Amino acid sequence: MNKRIEEEDRMNLTDELAWATMREREELIRSNYSHTVRTSSQERADEPAINGDQVVFVRDLRKTYAGGIEALKGISFEVGEGEIFGMLGPNGAGKTTTIGILTTTVRPSGGRVLVAGHDVVRDPLAVRRTIGVTFQESVLDNDFSGLDNLRLHARLWRVPRAEADERIAALLDAMDLTDRARDGVRTYSGGMRRRLEITRALLANPRVLFLDEPTLGLDPTVRQDIWEAIEQLRLRYGVTVVLSTHYLEEAERVCDRVAIIHEGRIVALDTPKALLKALGEEAVELKVDADPVTVLPALAGLRLNGSSPLVLGKTITIPLAEGGAQAGTLMDEIRSSSVSVAAMGIRRTTLNDAFLKLTGAGVNGHNGS
Amino acid sequence: MIQTASMIQTATLGTFTLYQRRLAVATKTASGIAGTMAPPILWVLIIAPALADALGGFSPNVDYYTYVALAQVALLVPFTSMFSGINVIVDKNFGILPEFLVAPVLRASIPLANACAVLTIASVQTALIISLGTARGAEFSTSATGVLWFISGVALLSLITYALAEVLALVVGRQEAYGPLIPAVGVTPWFLSGSLFPLSVLPPVVEQISLAFPWTHALALMRYGMMENTDPGLANIWHMDSELLMAALSLGVLVLMAIGALAVAIRVFNSKTMA
Repeated sequence: MNKRIEEEDRMNLTDELAWATMREREELIRSNYSHTVRTSSQERADEPAINGDQVVFVRDLRKTYAGGIEALKGISFEVGEGEIFGMLGPNGAGKTTTIGILTTTVRPSGGRVLVAGHDVVRDPLAVRRTIGVTFQESVLDNDFSGLDNLRLHARLWRVPRAEADERIAALLDAMDLTDRARDGVRTYSGGMRRRLEITRALLANPRVLFLDEPTLGLDPTVRQDIWEAIEQLRLRYGVTVVLSTHYLEEAERVCDRVAIIHEGRIVALDTPKALLKALGEEAVELKVDADPVTVLPALAGLRLNGSSPLVLGKTITIPLAEGGAQAGTLMDEIRSSSVSVAAMGIRRTTLNDAFLKLTGAGVNGHNGS
Repeated sequence: MIQTASMIQTATLGTFTLYQRRLAVATKTASGIAGTMAPPILWVLIIAPALADALGGFSPNVDYYTYVALAQVALLVPFTSMFSGINVIVDKNFGILPEFLVAPVLRASIPLANACAVLTIASVQTALIISLGTARGAEFSTSATGVLWFISGVALLSLITYALAEVLALVVGRQEAYGPLIPAVGVTPWFLSGSLFPLSVLPPVVEQISLAFPWTHALALMRYGMMENTDPGLANIWHMDSELLMAALSLGVLVLMAIGALAVAIRVFNSKTMA
């Protein structure tokens, strides 16, 4: 029964947790999860709200594509100066559509959107002067070198030559691409291409940097590098970042605030910490052999203290509203009950749990309840 | 006033930057350069003389080699334009178009810059044909006004056919579907435009249809400019006495076609690149 449970966000449980005393569990959790100690950006999430300058303003944004496909059903949010704002949701939630509208490549069907004070419909050219964008797919001029790609961007954004050369050198150094700048981008790895694209997007000193799934398709090590680069760039250049992602760890680690988007609506918007706190920071997770629907009635009789079990496939997650202190008692009760459990343990809650609670589905599109 | 000036500056600088980039793409590789230069050389040095020898000519007043050499311009320029449509598809589906769409340039600058780049390539090809043709024995008129008529015909044909290529490339959207259109759209009308023989020998219905092709008017204008009134092309179109009037009419038709085609191309570009 006390089997190791591997989780999507790599926060592995240990067998000791299941048998340890409450106090030992708390210490084990803290030491086991020390790598998720809040970074500077997450600490900033606890700071008072972003300083009042709204760089992005979205009100009741709607988008219906040809054929009646309603991609956005009225979303509203603001992004403050210097903030890293994330949009988290599965494929088809409306994240890319939102970024498309903010970057003037998609026409909204309704609502109002201002970027750096300019209306995206009335004054798209002015909006484009203030933004840098990286796209979901790699978008580079494959016939040219990294340096040529950057120079072209500088010319299109009318960065004076001398200033452009200086910024290119500094950014290439920051992104560790100086040695490969003169090589053709066809020879670049996926991570290098992405770093070059971020470099390019920052070249004209944009007020807002839009990153559409910035680490999609990259391996975990490279993803870490990109996250660190984003954080460093915000620290160094103070640029506001709006990113879309369906990677939970990306949203939790990098973003000051996260909007959870589901089927064209924002179902929650807060700091990652607050979203998880509302849910309960830890959870008991069971894997069952039977259909979870048949297991839930048995669980209902236990002391869940107001927590609602979340079901995803054959995994039932019970957020602990009262924290780890509740875990031992609950797990003992589950063991004593008629519920047939293949494996059970404690883990920290993730944004996927928050997403599941709010929408009934996982961030990666798996149906749950 | 300031806003207008700023807009003009934005349009000019943006178009010029994109134009330079498109030219750089076309000349980046040896195969790109060879592909641009080889056909004119082949046609004017080998194929056109062979045709002149084999067919002789249809009128003692018309030097057939010169007649066919100018037809090569009307063949190669649209062919180059149609081939450029592949770049449109590649840029859109696999390349850098999304970056251009978020750049602070007017959207119309993107297809216009491509059209200007194609025009530049067409100019180089044309200059090569005229130079080699002259060296080979073609009898081109070199009066200033004649050259201007000629250049007008070439430039407008290039712009019209590029606009057509841009529209087709964006509508079709895939290289494998666009490829067969290159000879179908880029070459077939050339055969019916008075390129190798006068329009008057075509069946009447076909002759009337050919009047709607820009190739027909462009070729007649080019020959009017470079063949010292020996070519019956304009007369076969307009059936008037005044050569100057007929040339002006064909020029007017081409200008209208160019404006219309480019307007449609920009409209299609906007609709296909903006969801």
